Amino acid sequence: MAFNSLSYFIFLPVVFLLYWFIFNKKVKIQNLLILSASYFFYGLWDWRFLFLILASTVVDFLVGKAIYATKWNRTKQKIWLWTSIVFNISLLGFFKYYNFFADSFLDMFQLFGYTIKSSWTLNIILPVGISFYTFQTMSYSLDIYYGRLKPTKDFLSFATFVAFFPQLVAGPIERASNLLGQIVKKRKFVYGQCVSGLQLILWGLFKKMVIADGIAPIVDDIFANYGSYPASTLILGVTLFSFQVYGDFSGYSDIAIGTAKLFGIELMSNFKFPNFSRNVAEYWQRWHISLSTWFRHYVYIPLGGSRVGKLLSVRNICIIFLVSGFWHGANWTFIFWGAFHALAFIPVFLMGRNTIYKNTVVAERTILPTLKELGQILLTFSIVTFSRIFFRSESLTDAFSYIERIFSNFEYVQYNHPLGYRMVDYFILLALFVVYEYCIRRDERNPFKFRSRGVRFMLYTLVVFSILLFYDSGFDRSFIYFQF
Amino acid sequence: MRRLFLKLLGYGFLMLVALELLVRLFYLGKDTPIRIVDENGVEKWRPIQNGFSVTGNRRQNFSAYHINNSGFNSYREYLPTKDKIEIALVGDSFIEGFHQNYYSSTGRKIERKLPGVEVYEYGYAGYDMADQLHLIHAYKKKFDLIDHVVIGVKFSNDLRRSEYQISQERIRLENPRNRLLKKSKLLVYTKSIGLLDPVSRMGSDVINLLKQKTAPLAVNTIKSKDSLYLNNFEMLVQKYGFDKDRFVLLLDKDKTSSLFTDYLEVNNFNYIDFSKTLKESKKPTTLIYDMHWNNHGRNLIAEIIAEYIKGRPEVR
Repeated sequence: MAFNSLSYFIFLPVVFLLYWFIFNKKVKIQNLLILSASYFFYGLWDWRFLFLILASTVVDFLVGKAIYATKWNRTKQKIWLWTSIVFNISLLGFFKYYNFFADSFLDMFQLFGYTIKSSWTLNIILPVGISFYTFQTMSYSLDIYYGRLKPTKDFLSFATFVAFFPQLVAGPIERASNLLGQIVKKRKFVYGQCVSGLQLILWGLFKKMVIADGIAPIVDDIFANYGSYPASTLILGVTLFSFQVYGDFSGYSDIAIGTAKLFGIELMSNFKFPNFSRNVAEYWQRWHISLSTWFRHYVYIPLGGSRVGKLLSVRNICIIFLVSGFWHGANWTFIFWGAFHALAFIPVFLMGRNTIYKNTVVAERTILPTLKELGQILLTFSIVTFSRIFFRSESLTDAFSYIERIFSNFEYVQYNHPLGYRMVDYFILLALFVVYEYCIRRDERNPFKFRSRGVRFMLYTLVVFSILLFYDSGFDRSFIYFQF
Repeated sequence: MRRLFLKLLGYGFLMLVALELLVRLFYLGKDTPIRIVDENGVEKWRPIQNGFSVTGNRRQNFSAYHINNSGFNSYREYLPTKDKIEIALVGDSFIEGFHQNYYSSTGRKIERKLPGVEVYEYGYAGYDMADQLHLIHAYKKKFDLIDHVVIGVKFSNDLRRSEYQISQERIRLENPRNRLLKKSKLLVYTKSIGLLDPVSRMGSDVINLLKQKTAPLAVNTIKSKDSLYLNNFEMLVQKYGFDKDRFVLLLDKDKTSSLFTDYLEVNNFNYIDFSKTLKESKKPTTLIYDMHWNNHGRNLIAEIIAEYIKGRPEVR
């Protein structure tokens, strides 16, 4: 059940009404409803996936307790922690990476001139959201191990924390210290929180249905036929893809955060207008925040972070970017994408500029950015957009051919979609979107933060109207990050 | 909580009003002419109506229609005589052409290619072979004066009946409730872009759940279906007549059973096949959000028909 489907628009109000009118007496009953709804929500993809999530839940619940119970014995704690890590990584490894490793192994033999005829690759379905909830459950065990959290005794609450449907399939990847703390307490209806949730859902739907789905057919065409297009079209294709993937994923996150608010729960922000980042380091503080902070807390810092020497710090940066790339998908294209970001990040780090923009926004005290800031934004956007060629291409060969064509076939030819889409509509749409996002850049959780009720109403109407204008019934509207 | 519901209702209502106004302001929703059944039992549009047909999101296709005195979408009136050369195009929505300006229809394009020839377009969305042959039969006097009759046929769905009957399903679209719903341009627009499809699909899914599941068609069934359609064609021809000298079928051979085309060839029925021309076109021949022919597609069809007519002895 996707957030942009009709079934979700029936499911959500039903759960909302049951939650606040019938199951509102006790926290246990609230959690029971949320857990049942979450399993129903997830089971609609494939009921067999429920066994995986249940297994991950049980293992980490027990491991969490065991780590805490052996807190005076670091070796035993380590053994329990590794039990959790090995279990979750095995789940991921089997369902997500098995075929990749099998293929890569066979390819390696081919490199040396041996051909192995094998049936090693399996016909495995990737369970939706497995990369997200395994990381979430692991973070629970890790937090207990690092002494940041006490384990819960309430299995129902823990299962609800793992399976909480708004963020189950594509994040934000929550930490137990934030989400579990809210789940164990009874939630009360707060009018302002509910309104804010509805606003975020509307804004998320706009980003998904208008921005991402609107330009998707154009991106699909350009990437599918890149061999027959000139450089100008290829640059257009990857630039539009940059907006598509942002609209798609941040739209999903907004709907997730908004939905959670309807149930009295605050999830962490996952995107903070990354397109206005002034360097690659700032970009990573604004893009997929829940994943980048996960890697920071549980991989980068335990490896020594930046407190070790420069060389080791660079090594740590390389590790987290490569792992982050690999997390996205079992394909060399994602590993290259990660490596490219590491290469872009390292100079910023070595110049000591990786934290200078932390907790600030572009044009902090002015309306317009300075020319320097504008240049920085454009440069960062270009670097990030260029890296997306690897992210979007089917294979490394495709990615390098795409890049090669940009540089070897450098000419401008006006792009016309084979089906005749009116391109000017999309350029106007994106220009308005960028300007509007710039206007609201200080607060990612309040996309309609205007005092005047009239202005807010006008914006709601325009958002719904643009959904009507750009809705395309002939297009597959699943979320990009579901595949991860 | 009460405040939330009241506000949601209030905002929702105001938003619907605002959206209705916006859809009207930008003319996104199409006009729908009124349909009638005339004294000959022919279903068509009520004569003399004008409006605009809109296809796709953001008015990707916007065209004017004009229903003439005969009840069909055309810039001209149909007044055949013995002296002039006339061609009638009889078919469904492709000939009706609400997706094009009525003054640049396929018929008009043929007229430009064949000066002095008048083209009468008897097109109506949903017409099948039974509708078409019945129409020709019902207007026999008029059609006897017309020199060439081109009849569109889609084998897969135009030969499901062996006898003409008024389509109650289409006539129901004219009931007061449906006419009232069509007054909301917002509803018309959202329906036309497929936004309401999931709702209707969900409804039909529920109905199908309650009904018995139908198994996919086996090869034998498809073969027997082709035979059934062929049989229907024979019965329609027998009932309403088919002048092999003047009538010609317009079809896409790639989408037509060879059983049918073989039958046509053996029995000396003329047909024009447009499959190759459309397939070989480098430019798209259909609209973006709609499978109807676009301007280029109509040009090609007009060209094919004009070439066929030029080859006829009466014109040569």
